[in-house]
Amino acid sequence: MEWVEVTGKTVDEAKESALEQLGVVEADAEILIVAEPKAGLFGRVRGEARVRARVRPAGPRPKRNRSSRDRSERPADEASSEPAAQREPKPQAQKAAKPKNDRPKAEPKSPRAGGSNRPVQEDGEMAEGMTLEEQAEVGNKFLMGLVEAFGYEATVEIRNLDDETVELAVNGEELGLLVGPRGSTLAALQDLTRTVVQSNFSARTDRILVDVAQYRERRVAALQRWVAGIAEEVKASGEERALEPMSPADRKVIHDAINDIEGLATRSEGEDARRYVVIEPAN
Amino acid sequence: MTEGYEAGDINLVDDEVRYDDDEVVTDDANGSLAELPVRVATYLATSLADAPDEVEVTSSVQGATVKVSVTVAPSDMGRVIGRRGRTAQALRTVVGAAGAKVGATTNVDIVDV
Repeated sequence: MEWVEVTGKTVDEAKESALEQLGVVEADAEILIVAEPKAGLFGRVRGEARVRARVRPAGPRPKRNRSSRDRSERPADEASSEPAAQREPKPQAQKAAKPKNDRPKAEPKSPRAGGSNRPVQEDGEMAEGMTLEEQAEVGNKFLMGLVEAFGYEATVEIRNLDDETVELAVNGEELGLLVGPRGSTLAALQDLTRTVVQSNFSARTDRILVDVAQYRERRVAALQRWVAGIAEEVKASGEERALEPMSPADRKVIHDAINDIEGLATRSEGEDARRYVVIEPAN
Repeated sequence: MTEGYEAGDINLVDDEVRYDDDEVVTDDANGSLAELPVRVATYLATSLADAPDEVEVTSSVQGATVKVSVTVAPSDMGRVIGRRGRTAQALRTVVGAAGAKVGATTNVDIVDV
């Protein structure tokens, strides 16, 4: 089956032109949202929504041809670390099939794909009003089970960082393998935890952070110390300074640290994995 | 190590894995090396899946490489693979950590029925 890729001002618009091209109704199509409108996180067409769609193959096995090799070669990018959260439903009046919906948290990718037709992406059921505590409890249970599967002795501490963010801190002996080179396994753990929580609650999951053996904590402290020195230099010279590309999480630490400093500001440039922070004098 | 094996071509590999070189151990006899990666892969897949009962994890061992095949219900493929393969990649990374714990290289395939 052939995929078509189209863009539009909104996801719905892009979807519609994709369906037009395919000549099918939404329930008979498989739709992947490649980029959200205006977020521009995938970079290529900043500001536009981009979807891929194909006619849903007959029978219950729609994705056989997406081999693991294809998938594994795709770079991870920051846009997918913010599932559902940024998606703003923009139902259009002429789309009778799509219900008006003012819940900003969970827009199903193919809302009319009922019955056995499931959305392609990892949206869960529409559950409403689950508290952060309940989400954290699901994440906690998942991590405990994983630690046990590994045969480690560890505890998971639920820490409320602020009203909107909870950290699940895994602590114990010899957990280095769960951190991995430059925190890569930890990042994977966080992805999986969020996906599991999301499949239960279909809520935004960027509020859930995972830490192992205080890795994240130490990383944040190290970044803050490092960037404090650079901030001094920018202040002294009055010239902006571009940092090396960093993960979304690391960039957030930099933004937060610099924006606490009088007279300095930050912005992000570059795309996808190459995105980096620029520290500049304010005004 | 795994010449002749194409990622994603799991359907070409039957239960009686035959490689020309190296030591070959089939699913029935792979013993301890595959145990932890399989346990972790099973845990992750069942946690992610809507239909955990349909999750099936098999493995074969060749030398120090453990090949893990995770089968999920077709309706769960999207969730287990994730947007742009992100969840699948995370699963591979964590199963890889399980492999590293027992000194094995892992190779994870996700297949639908």
